[in-house]
Amino acid sequence: MGSSVAEFPVPQKTLTLDIKGNKTDLVICRYDDHIMVIVTQIGAMGTILHARKEEGVSIDPTFNISVVFGKRDEPMMVACARQLIEHISNSRASRQLVLSLGLKDHSSETLKGVVSAVIENRLW
Amino acid sequence: MAHDGLGIDGLNLRDSCNSAPISEDAQQGVSENDGGIQITCFSEVVNDSTLHFQIIRLEKQIYAWIGCNSSKLGRLYAAAPTRPANLVSVTSILDGASDNTGSGIARRLVVKTGVNIILACNIPKNNPTLEADAERLLMQKLVSLGYRRPKPDGSSV
Repeated sequence: MGSSVAEFPVPQKTLTLDIKGNKTDLVICRYDDHIMVIVTQIGAMGTILHARKEEGVSIDPTFNISVVFGKRDEPMMVACARQLIEHISNSRASRQLVLSLGLKDHSSETLKGVVSAVIENRLW
Repeated sequence: MAHDGLGIDGLNLRDSCNSAPISEDAQQGVSENDGGIQITCFSEVVNDSTLHFQIIRLEKQIYAWIGCNSSKLGRLYAAAPTRPANLVSVTSILDGASDNTGSGIARRLVVKTGVNIILACNIPKNNPTLEADAERLLMQKLVSLGYRRPKPDGSSV
């Protein structure tokens, strides 16, 4: 028998939950340099955001969040990415975040639900 | 675990996935995710490089990641068929400014499957053979999962 099969190098987790009555699928993947989070209620990735911590000399970290694909007029999505990247950075991981949000509604309740579900099932 | 026969000669097939719910090939008929998201992962060794493939299937879109010897995310591309003609558009959405290895793969995947694709790829540039092998392997897997664009006369590509 040959050598043992290596595990797939990208740990990942999928789950389905209900947020405000909408069935929401969540996928979280941990790459070497990024965390990818896919949240979908519409069967597609929707809007994709990229978030990273800025390297700087000041004590308080700053973060750069940008929408790289999709809706650019939903500040709550940017806030969602901001909360997640801060959480990722606080746990000493220096990974960037790619967050995809394919949501039916962009209310703050929904996005808070998304943030807490992701943090609860985090891989960092 | 039974391995599906993709008929790839000269390659070392290692089908490995981690413990998260992941669906098997359509040929094996086992699906662990009920109607939601299905994830397929596999790795292959090609000419001393290990290529990792991760395919996440959503209802209306596919996300795929190709890793070459590492688990970095790489460059991210979005490709989709665009109206009015059957043209395919591709754009780089992360990191693809000076190195567009992978954009061709994304475009051709959409041409052959007709589905919107988001592709992440960390294959190093100036390696067209590796890029072609990766595209072929990924396309084979997508075809085995049932993604095949029918020709206008009704037969499959």
